[in-house]
Parts: sequence; C-alpha cells; structure tokens
Amino acid sequence: MLSLVLILLASIYFPGVIVKVKAIFSGRKGPSILQPWYDIFRLLKKGSVYSTSSSFIFQIGGPIYFSTVLLAALFVPFEEATAVFSFTGDFVLFAYLLGLGRFLLIISALDVSSGFEGMGANREAFYSMLIEPAFFLLLGALAMFTGYNSFHEIFANLHYDSYFSAIIAIIAGYVLANITLVETSRLPVDDPLTHLELTMVHEVMVLDHSGFDLGIIKIANNIKFVLFSTLSANCFIPQSLDLSVRIGIFLLMQAFFAGGIGWLESFRSRNKMAMNAQYILSVSAIAMILIFVVIIIKNRI
Amino acid sequence: MTLLLFKIALLASFVTFALPKKWKYWLGLVLHISLVATTSSWALHALREGTQTIALGVTTWSGPVQLVIDPLSAYFMLIINLICFCGIVYAGGYLKPYMAKKGSVFIALHLFSFLWLHAAMLLVTSMRDGIAFLIAWELMSLFSFILVIFEAQKESTLKTGINYLLQMHLGFALIMIGFLIANNQTGELGFAGVATYFTQYQNAPLFFLFFAGFGIKAGFIPFHSWLPRAHPAAPSHVSGVMSGVMIKMGIYGIFRIASMLQNDLMLIGIIVLAVGVVSGLLGVIMAIMQHDLKKLLAYHSIENIGIIGIGIGVGILGKAVGDEYLMILGLAGALLHNLNHALFKSLLFFTAGNIHHAVHTVNMDNLGGLVNKMRYTSIAFLIGALAISGIPPFNGFISEYLIYSGVLHHLPVASFWMSLVGIAAVLGLVLIGGLCIYCFTKAFGMSFLGTRRSTHADEIDEVPPVMLLPAVLIIGVILSIGLRSSFFGAIVVNILQDLTNISTVGIAAEIASSLSMVSTVNIILIILVGFVIGVRAWQQSKVKVEYGPTWGCGYTAGDFRHQYTPTSYADSLRQLVDPIIDYTRHYESFTEKEIFPPPKIFYTESKDLVEEKTVLSWVHLLVKYLPKAGVAQSGLINHYLIYPLVFLVIIGLLTFLKIM
Repeated sequence: MLSLVLILLASIYFPGVIVKVKAIFSGRKGPSILQPWYDIFRLLKKGSVYSTSSSFIFQIGGPIYFSTVLLAALFVPFEEATAVFSFTGDFVLFAYLLGLGRFLLIISALDVSSGFEGMGANREAFYSMLIEPAFFLLLGALAMFTGYNSFHEIFANLHYDSYFSAIIAIIAGYVLANITLVETSRLPVDDPLTHLELTMVHEVMVLDHSGFDLGIIKIANNIKFVLFSTLSANCFIPQSLDLSVRIGIFLLMQAFFAGGIGWLESFRSRNKMAMNAQYILSVSAIAMILIFVVIIIKNRI
Repeated sequence: MTLLLFKIALLASFVTFALPKKWKYWLGLVLHISLVATTSSWALHALREGTQTIALGVTTWSGPVQLVIDPLSAYFMLIINLICFCGIVYAGGYLKPYMAKKGSVFIALHLFSFLWLHAAMLLVTSMRDGIAFLIAWELMSLFSFILVIFEAQKESTLKTGINYLLQMHLGFALIMIGFLIANNQTGELGFAGVATYFTQYQNAPLFFLFFAGFGIKAGFIPFHSWLPRAHPAAPSHVSGVMSGVMIKMGIYGIFRIASMLQNDLMLIGIIVLAVGVVSGLLGVIMAIMQHDLKKLLAYHSIENIGIIGIGIGVGILGKAVGDEYLMILGLAGALLHNLNHALFKSLLFFTAGNIHHAVHTVNMDNLGGLVNKMRYTSIAFLIGALAISGIPPFNGFISEYLIYSGVLHHLPVASFWMSLVGIAAVLGLVLIGGLCIYCFTKAFGMSFLGTRRSTHADEIDEVPPVMLLPAVLIIGVILSIGLRSSFFGAIVVNILQDLTNISTVGIAAEIASSLSMVSTVNIILIILVGFVIGVRAWQQSKVKVEYGPTWGCGYTAGDFRHQYTPTSYADSLRQLVDPIIDYTRHYESFTEKEIFPPPKIFYTESKDLVEEKTVLSWVHLLVKYLPKAGVAQSGLINHYLIYPLVFLVIIGLLTFLKIM
C-alpha cells in the first residue's frame, strides 16, 4: 500500500517539475508546479465533443486506459514494502495490463477515421512493440541475478551492499529510464510539444479526445511516468537506511528524474522518425548486455 | 447405450443425401448433437475416472478397433465437440444464401463431410492402434478437403484444395513411415510400438519424422504453406473448425509422441522451441502484411501454433534438465493454449464470416466503419482480438503466463545454455505478443472502425442471431477461463500428471495460487473499468456533449481516402523486416509529359518467402524439367511397345545379377 501512496504522491508534482525545469532553462518563470493538475481538473469538469464518425470504442477507450494504468500501479512495490498484488511472474501481468490500455487507446485513435491519428496509432503500436523486449530482458536479468521472480522479491533482494549490485543497478536504471521515455512518448522518441500532427506519437492519438476522456488519459500518463521511475528508483535506494529517509530519497529522486526529463527536453532535439526504431532496439541491446553481465557475475560460464 | 447412439449417428449421416434440401441441415444438427453428447460423456468420465476403453465392434486386419480415451484424448475431444457444435450452429446462418444457389447433392455432401470431419477428429484422438489411427487421420484429411472446395466453381479454390490434399498426404506418408519404422523394430504397430522403440533406440530421428508429419497438419513453419491458402478459400464455419481444432490434431500427435520421449531430450527440446519461435514470429509478421482478413487470421494460426510449440519445447527442455516445474508449466501452457486458440480463433473466423455475409468481402481495403452497423459482431471480434493478443482479462493471457512463469522460475538456476534458451523463449513470446497487438489493432481498426473504405453505398445490416449465438457461447468460455483460471489450470495439470506419471501436487498448488491471483486481478480490472465508465457516464450526463467532424488539421474536405490504410499501417514494420518478407509495390510514376494524368493504380502484395524457398522452388523445377520427358510421348505405338520391353529386360537383368 505504501508504494501506491508514494506513486500517487509523486505523480502530483512529477509533470509540474518537468514543465518548470523547461521554463527555467528557456528563461521563463514558468507556471506553478501544480498547473498540470489544475488543467486536468478543468478538463474533468468540461463538456465533450465527439467526432461524428466515432463509435462506442472511442467512449470506452479512455476509461479502460485509465483503469489499466491505475491497476498496474498496484503491482509496483517500493523495495521490501509489498505492492497490493505480488505473486510469481506478476510483472508479466503488469506489462500485459499496460498492453490492454494501449490496445484500447490505439483503436480509439483509429475510430475517428483521421489520417493523423492513424499515424500516431501506428507509431504507438510499433514503438511499444519494440520496447517490450527491453522490459522483459531487464526483468529476466534481475530474476536471474536475485533468484526470484516477482517484482517485490526482486527489489527486496537487489541489495546495494555488493559491488555487483551497483553494476546491475546502474545498467538497469539506465534501461528503465529509456523504457520510461519510450513508453510515455517523450524526447528523444517523441516531442509532445511540437504540435505538428505529422511528427507526434502519443499526443496525436488523443487529438480528438476532449473533456473528461482527455482528463483521465492525462492522469493515466502522469501515473505511468511515476510507475516506471519508481522501478528505477527501486534499483538505487540503499535498503540499509531508515524507512523515512528512504521515502525522502524516493520523493527527491522522482523530482530529480522529472528535472532530468525537463533538462533533456530543453537541450536535445527529437530523433528523426526513421531513427526511432534503431534507438529503441538499442535499449533492448543494452538489456541483453545486462543478461550477459549477470551470467558472468553468477559464474554460469 | 452411448456406443449405439454413436454408431447410429454415424450411419444416419448417409440419410442426409436422401432428405429434401431444407431438412438436411436439421438432420446434420441433430447428428452433431448426438455425437457431442455421446463422446462428451465418455470424455468427462475419462477426465474424472482415468482411461476408458470402449470396443467399437469393428475389426481391421490388425485386430479389433478400440476407443482408448485417456485424459489427454478426453481434453481434445471436449475441445473438438465444443468448436464443432459452434460450427454447425453457425453454418445454419452462413449456408442460408448458398441453399438456393447450390444443388441438393452438393449441400448434402458438405453437411455429410462436416459431420464426418467431426467424427474423424474424435476417432483420431481415441485410436492407439496404428492402422486405425491412420485410417481416422486419412478420413479427417479427405473430408476437410471436400469442405475446403465448397466453392469449387472457382478455379483458385479447386487449386488450393488440391494443394491442401497433396500436402496432407505428404504428412500422412511421414507419419506412416514413422509407425512402420517402430513396427519394424518392435513388432507393434501404433503408439505402443513407438513407446517401446523410444526406450530402446535413439529418439531424435523418429521424433523428427513424426514432428514433420504432424507438423504439416499443425502448420509449423516451414510446413505451413497450405494453411494461408486453405483457410481463406473455405467457408467460415469450416475455417473456424479447421483452424480451431483440426490443426490441433497435429499438436495432439506431437504431444502424444513427445510424452514417450526417453533420450535426446535436449536436442529435441531446443529444435522444437526454435521451430516454435520462428513459426510464431514469422507467422505474425506475415499476418501483419495481409489485406485479406481471413488470410490474416490464417497466418495467426501459424503464430499460435508457434506459441504452443514454444510451450512444448520448454516442457521437453524441462524434462531434459530435470526441472519438473519447468516441464509441467511449459506443457500446461501449451495444452491450455490449444483450448484458448480453438476458442478465439473460431470466434474470429466466425465474425470474419459475419463480415463476409453482410458486406460480401473480407478485403480490409474495402472495409471500415462496420462498428455502428454490426455492433454485436464488432464486440465479438474485439474480444477475440484482445484474447488472441494475450491481453487480460481474457484467456490468451493465462496460457502465455504459464509458459512465462515456467521459464522465469527456471532462469535463476539455469545453466549457461539454458539461460540463453530461456531468454530466447521469453523474447519470442514478448515479441509475438507485441506484434499481435500491432496486428489486431490493424485488423480491428481497419475492418470495423473509421469510415467505409469504398464508394459502394450498399446497405449493411447485422447478421441474423443464429450467427451470433456461437460467439456468445465461445465468449462465455473465454471469460470463464480468464476469471476462473485456477480451475482450468488444475484440469491441464491433472492431464499432465496422467501423461507423464510425475506427481504434480506441489506444482499444482503453486500454479493454483498464482493463477487465482491473476484471476482476482482480472475481476478487479473488470469492476474498475465498469466503475470508471459509470463515473464517466455520470459526468457526461451533467455537461454538454456535442458531435462534430474529426479534426482534419484545418482541411475540411477529407473523405474516406484520408484514413490510414492497412498497407500504410503495416508499413513501419515492413521497413524493419523487409529482408525476410517478399514484398512488392506496384506503382506507376507520373511522367513529365503527363499534363492531364489518367487514373493510376497502386497496390502492394506480399508473398510468403518461406513457401517460395521450400515448396515452390521444387515445384518450379519440376514444372521446368518434367515437360522434357514429353519426348518419350511420341504418339507412335511401336515406341510404346518398346518401353515395357526395356522395363522387363532391366528387371530381368537386376534379378539375374541379384542387385535388388
């Protein structure tokens, strides 16, 4: 339960920090940290406009996407504190739950019969298919390293007390950070602020969503961010510390991670579309290297 | 009593030819129901009490024929009965437009073959004796051939049918050779002989012989090339049954043979796993490239057979390294995926048949926007699409989860090679899952969503309820597997306990606990989705809801041609996998002098590279060189008299010199 509270807490300031950092780097003062949430609350109260060519798929797409992300949040542990659900291979269900949300979001984008949204839907399906192996390779490597196969047990046993753990944590953290960027469609894969329909991935899929639907999709995106960054935080926070100190470090790390994304988005340009496939596959390649590192560490050769 | 009913049902099938046209279907339905009732009662009995043996009262030259129904057979029999029952109910609606067009004998032959395909599959699962098994196997191939060529007036269908018949007989020959080799060494013809052979000799050669023979039926790559041709050519109730259960008979055979393996396990496991991964990946990649919905579904059968192959491979490897957990979970995943695939694939073929019934085409380039006109069909297709992509809360996830958890359980203790093999299995499953989402968002999105991609303004109506009834039944089972997975998990584990003679008590308890967690999550997911949709409905009732045109980026005169097409949706993947598919774009570019260009045609097609390299290259060689033998056909009677003389002289010489 603790992890759920922490995830929800971090998702409050996570998007705000990104916006704030980007504003500061571009020489502006920037809105309040809570501004993204004010926008969401405004959306939740608004009326909706639907495309005349859309159907019930469009109407259930948003709610299902939101529900799956919320449910996936119940799987993510905070180190040795158990998540709500924890069992053998729970991360398989975690990944496939996110798959359900993605499936529904993609088909609701196709529902409005727009070429732009078709483009976004296609890219989302393609990129998420390419990034999925990286996640499973990573978890496979961690399972081999710790000897367990559920989120909770893996992170509870991924001690930071040996040098080997440090190596694993650094590579795993890097892979997870990249997975976060791809899954949430941020730079360098996609720039949500270009506002050019031809080049966006995630944002172009929700072009025709409005009001309540857009609101819950945005909430889901904020939670999704924190889901993955919690996983990477789990790799780093030493378990020997006091719980309250660790919670403090966790919240700071989330802010740091959000700041990092803001910094990245201020200084880096988006990949060329055609380069994205290579970029994403390289993340899987690094995860594969992690597998070999574990094999060597564990003396399997 | 039940045996008598079973025999009467089979004999009464001949009456179909004598009945008036409108009664034929009803007789077929009654006969199917009696087959389902009798054999299901045997199967349920076998699942509860263990192996049942029923003497059929027929004798072949290898002895009296017996139905031996062990739990594995019983499991397959129940799947066959469920899908064939759904198939005959569905045929009631699907055949209606054909009733007027086709002749009386034609309809009778079709229904007769459908019943006998059902019966032959039941016999295949319950025959242990070699001769009887091969006869049942042959009956299954022959009757499915008659079913495939239902629209025999089309030349392409007839060609497909002959292709199918030839390939099935190649498989038949391989299986027969397998039985004969075992018979030659052990003196027993049938599965018992194979089991004895395996205890005495090296396993790998004979296993791969059977694997190829059964693999042709199952559709493993590279033995798959009949599958994407036959399924689209057959009517939808037939493709549903063929893809749902008939190809599973190949899997049944492989399961039966694999359960007897004694040595060479590592080699066999790795090769089966590799074939599974390749079939899964190539199957789904080829599926994404298709425009024809039924062809797309046919390639997905290859993909799902690949997943089953991964499960079997993992199971055999588990036995090889002595990890019972890995073995049972791999095989349990494969076995459960048989049921799962039978359910969602027949559901998808039936809904594709609904589209064909309503729109008269299954080419996705001409579909779109059906969701508002065929609401129930689209919901059924969507559930099938989610289930086949292995997405919770539906059944496809459960079987994939079993395979995943087996491998993940083994990884921490795996040796170097087993780690690599395990990672390959996981990678295969993950990529197949991701590609499946890619493919079915395309299939569903292009067929049902958006605006109709055609200028034909024909009226489209929902199909009659009888064509939706099977879908309701199948969706019920799909959901019950998703929401009560521990029950179904226990069934397959029990079957494996019987098959492998390994005590599975501890493993079963562990599987039950994690599966019940999965099902709990699935139930919570459904409740949560319901709750959020409820909140949304409440919010919508309070605010203003408007309808307007889709955002066209300022361009307002767009029509259906502005949508994404199946080709463009597949294109990003096509660029990545270009080397392993044979893809051509036909495009005439504009020349400089064309001031007023005429209409141009653009189309793409993808051929099956594996078929091209394995089957067609030989066929091309034959077609090229066989006509050269025509020299001998001179048309002169004196030449023709020389040929037998030469033949006799050669035979005489060979006998004289004792060469053969």
